[in-house]
Amino acid sequence: MIYLLLITPALTLVLIVFGFPIVRYSWLSLHSYSVLTGLDVIPNTAANWVRLLNDDRFWQDAIQTIRFSTLSVSIELVLAIAIALILHQKIKRRGLVRALSLLPWALPTTIMALGWRWIFNTPYGPLENILNTIGVGTFNFLGDPRYAWLTTVIADVWKTTPFIALLLLAGLQSIPKDLYEAFKLEGGNSNQSFLRITLPLLEPYIILSLLFRIAQAFGVFDLIQVMTGGGPAGTTESLGLYAYLNAMRFLDFGYSATVMLASFILLVFYCLMLWILLSISKRIYELII
Amino acid sequence: MKKKKIFVIILLTWSLIPFIWQIYTSFSTPDSLLEPFFSLKHKWTIQNYLQVIQADPPFFRYLLNSFIVGVLSTILTLVFAIPASYSLSKAPKSIATTTKLFLLTSSLFPYVLLFLSLLEIARSLNLGNSLVALSIPYSALSMPLALLLLSTSFSDLPIDIDEAAKIEGLDIWQRLRLVLLPLIKPSIASTAIIIFLFSWNEYPIALTWISKPNLITLPVAVARIAGSSIYSVPYGAYAAATVLGAIPLIIIVLVFQKQIISGLTQGAVKG
Repeated sequence: MIYLLLITPALTLVLIVFGFPIVRYSWLSLHSYSVLTGLDVIPNTAANWVRLLNDDRFWQDAIQTIRFSTLSVSIELVLAIAIALILHQKIKRRGLVRALSLLPWALPTTIMALGWRWIFNTPYGPLENILNTIGVGTFNFLGDPRYAWLTTVIADVWKTTPFIALLLLAGLQSIPKDLYEAFKLEGGNSNQSFLRITLPLLEPYIILSLLFRIAQAFGVFDLIQVMTGGGPAGTTESLGLYAYLNAMRFLDFGYSATVMLASFILLVFYCLMLWILLSISKRIYELII
Repeated sequence: MKKKKIFVIILLTWSLIPFIWQIYTSFSTPDSLLEPFFSLKHKWTIQNYLQVIQADPPFFRYLLNSFIVGVLSTILTLVFAIPASYSLSKAPKSIATTTKLFLLTSSLFPYVLLFLSLLEIARSLNLGNSLVALSIPYSALSMPLALLLLSTSFSDLPIDIDEAAKIEGLDIWQRLRLVLLPLIKPSIASTAIIIFLFSWNEYPIALTWISKPNLITLPVAVARIAGSSIYSVPYGAYAAATVLGAIPLIIIVLVFQKQIISGLTQGAVKG
């Protein structure tokens, strides 16, 4: 019984922090609770949800969050596989190379978001500077709704690729070397061994980092708030930022809770779709290879 | 292998060039930042650093705040997580698996979405504007990962050690303190550093819980500096702030890279 006693405080803390908000948001999302109600909590049945369904800004942010997550996580995954393969080989000063490539991940997001804002600055940032010097012209990266969200993708890729690469590296290290040697003896080349041994055995690691990164990318907040503030014209605003603005700027806590709950539902739905897509492509992959 | 070397150089350039640019900016005068590259009129200065250091409150205050929260949350998490993960490693398999699944799901959760509820808790219990109080949500948020990492290392120990100590008549606290903890020291170190990094870098909760200017943590301070318009130009002081803010972490990563990497990868291998 002492075991139960030892584990209860920690699990209670986890339950309070992760479980209570879901319950609280579900309840709040069925109530009006804002400055307009004088901060009284008044039941309003489904008014928040009806408002959400008709809220163009919510849907624009949902689409932005989904395209941001999809694009950045896809790029990160492909780059991370390549980096993990390189770091897995014998290279000089492997420890130092790993530590340096992990730096972007270890720094506070706000710090490097500020750095990237300066890099993409128009007209004085280094990128515009180079583009002007070689005569390509001005891009206005952060001010043009067409490019602004892509700059946030670049910053995100820069920050999190090393982290995924490390997770995948752990996966690579768990693959026994004998497998490759046996495969070689049977006359397989290195491309084939990548497709038939490395990728299938790496699968659990890929799935885990995919899940983790997608969940984190869905909650993107620091990066957007500091780098673009959600602009231009709201094109980079994420669901997390919208929920934050609803609570802290518009002081509408009921609606903020609704937005957060809806984001969570969207995330679950997205992961479900991804899971179906992955199972299908795995089948196809097994048929081809 | 030439190709490998080139790839490593590209990798490191890509990872480091934004820092190098920040350092370059932080030592440049505002006027020379407005010139095109390679201008002969470029002038160097330490004025940006002086401006950041002499601001009120001085920049080191934010580093100190972040450091305090980081240390407090790390200690708090470990105090709860070590006994808990020990008993988790002793639990029947079905219960342990269910608990671990729950913990894994929690650790994947985009915690930004929790900020409103946590803020409500802070308001009703009067926990705002306190670095000690801020470490409570931080340790709760890092708890799932800490439990997963530590319970794995407890399970990896041979059962005989614990049993033998029990026969020797040591109670559970003595066994933990004298026998088991020394054996899982490396894994405690990795866990501690990862929690510390998380708390040092955390933004949304620090932003909403702390409003007193002399108590805000580093990420919030940097975001505040950035608060003015996207188009405002003299970036020199911003860059100096980011460089000063990055130095402690660069040191941590270089010194503890082994622990960080083993912590992260253990989580992936066993999770």
